[in-house]
Amino acid sequence: MKEKINVALAQISSTRGDKAANISKIEKFTLKAKKKGAELVIFPELSLTGYTVRDQVYELAETIPGPSTKAIENIAKKAKVHVIFGMPELSEETQATIHNAAVLVGPEGLIGKYRKLYLPTHSIFEEKRYYRPGYEAVALDSALGKIGLIICYDIYFPEVTRLTRLKGAQLIVCISASPAIRRTFFETLTMARAIENTAFFAFVNRVGIEDGLQFWGGSRLVGPNGRVLAQAKYDDEDLVTCDVDYSDIKPIETFVPALRDLRPELYEKLKEQAEKL
Amino acid sequence: MRKLPLKLAPSILDLPCPEIENRITQFIKDYVEKSGAKGVVVGISGGIDSSTTAALSALALGGNRVLGLILPEKETQDIQDIKNAQLVAEKFKFKTQRIDITPMLEAFYTSIPIFDRRDKVANGNVKARTRMIYIYYHANKLNRLVCGSSDKSETMMGYFTKWGDVAGDIWPLMDLYKLQVRQLAKHIGIPKRIVDAPPSPKLWPGQLAEEELGIRYDQVDLILCGLEHFMSVGKIAEQLGISKDLVDKVKSRWLSAEHKRRMILTAKLEYRTVGSDFRLPRSP
Repeated sequence: MKEKINVALAQISSTRGDKAANISKIEKFTLKAKKKGAELVIFPELSLTGYTVRDQVYELAETIPGPSTKAIENIAKKAKVHVIFGMPELSEETQATIHNAAVLVGPEGLIGKYRKLYLPTHSIFEEKRYYRPGYEAVALDSALGKIGLIICYDIYFPEVTRLTRLKGAQLIVCISASPAIRRTFFETLTMARAIENTAFFAFVNRVGIEDGLQFWGGSRLVGPNGRVLAQAKYDDEDLVTCDVDYSDIKPIETFVPALRDLRPELYEKLKEQAEKL
Repeated sequence: MRKLPLKLAPSILDLPCPEIENRITQFIKDYVEKSGAKGVVVGISGGIDSSTTAALSALALGGNRVLGLILPEKETQDIQDIKNAQLVAEKFKFKTQRIDITPMLEAFYTSIPIFDRRDKVANGNVKARTRMIYIYYHANKLNRLVCGSSDKSETMMGYFTKWGDVAGDIWPLMDLYKLQVRQLAKHIGIPKRIVDAPPSPKLWPGQLAEEELGIRYDQVDLILCGLEHFMSVGKIAEQLGISKDLVDKVKSRWLSAEHKRRMILTAKLEYRTVGSDFRLPRSP
């Protein structure tokens, strides 16, 4: 495993419902990131299709692997980088059961996927109407180290990030489509998830406007001590790169040994109490 | 997000004006560009909402892509309103067109056998709907969108004419209460005399919004803000030091006006139904 990698936060707006246009943008940003030295390029939640596609999701969803993952695998192969992006995943066993998924591909092809565990269905969000939740936290082995994947609203549930960390992820990636009114929450939570897990935390958010929702961008890479190592612009497309040196985790983990001090018995209590809520 | 604790005091409606101006102008620009329209048409009365909407449109798109339609009629015409509208147009560098709609109204009145000059509300609504026709005609002819001026207070209270003054393609101010529109108007430089003038839909002579609603905006906005945040009637009344009856009246008015805000309703008969479970992305 590499000790040090370069990560690009590709903060794009997607064209709603136009996968070809979005794949083309993913290619453009990937090649640009490669030129800047990136080995991993991260795109936002549902970057393949746009976020508020509503009933169109039934036409847009694809299996993984499928034509769109194949197209992005080819981009990764051509640029010799790893790429993370978001898409609606159609279950292979059904015709209309869909997950909100994050996908990791590398130069050798598809590495793995994560299905969003927590689907926001409140305020302007209606994800449970369209998506089936996932059942597993994911940390994927890759040539760039073990990478944890979470999606947007998952960030409010620290156990998801914690599980990816316990599975060995030292870089945890949160792809997102967060509207502007929630900015302060995300700016706080991205730091918290990094600190409490002594891990690198990459947050990549959408920009652009869909149905009056203004996605605020502000993508960032936070170090294991909570320091913001790279920060993208608010509201506009942007591409920022940053080194992730895994050896930086050790001194932080000794300074605040949150993982050493975990108390597994409390998780049983959490389960008991949550069931009673 | 609002400041905590959630206390119904005027400061709860404090607006981060530069950020809100930026969000609204981005919203207008994005929608108009995606639609392929050449610009917007705004009906301007010289009041605060339409002045602010037209000014924000000009800031978003450039004044040459904004047309302000001034549509007076003889019963409510006020030279000061027209001057106000023109003043805003000069300041924000957009064009205006003034058309007296009186002949059109008279033609309508005389062609209706049951027309009754004493029915203020029905006749007032004719004025609002006639203005809508003029505004949409210009939008169609000039390949522009209609930018509506309704704010959150009057929309929640149902204080507008169905298919009339609320008609539009986008409504940049609809998530801002009247007191917040005043802050934003001041911030972008709408003249003080417009910001401070008592609001009126001008559907009949002497009509004043606060008089007709039976409550001042500084009260109704806080009541509506409480209702927005799921506060109980009792709690709102207690925090504002007003009667529960008054809060109840506002709440009833808000709830009973939903038919004016969500206008398509049919019986559920088929697989997917217009207005309920066709859930499609809104394309400009």
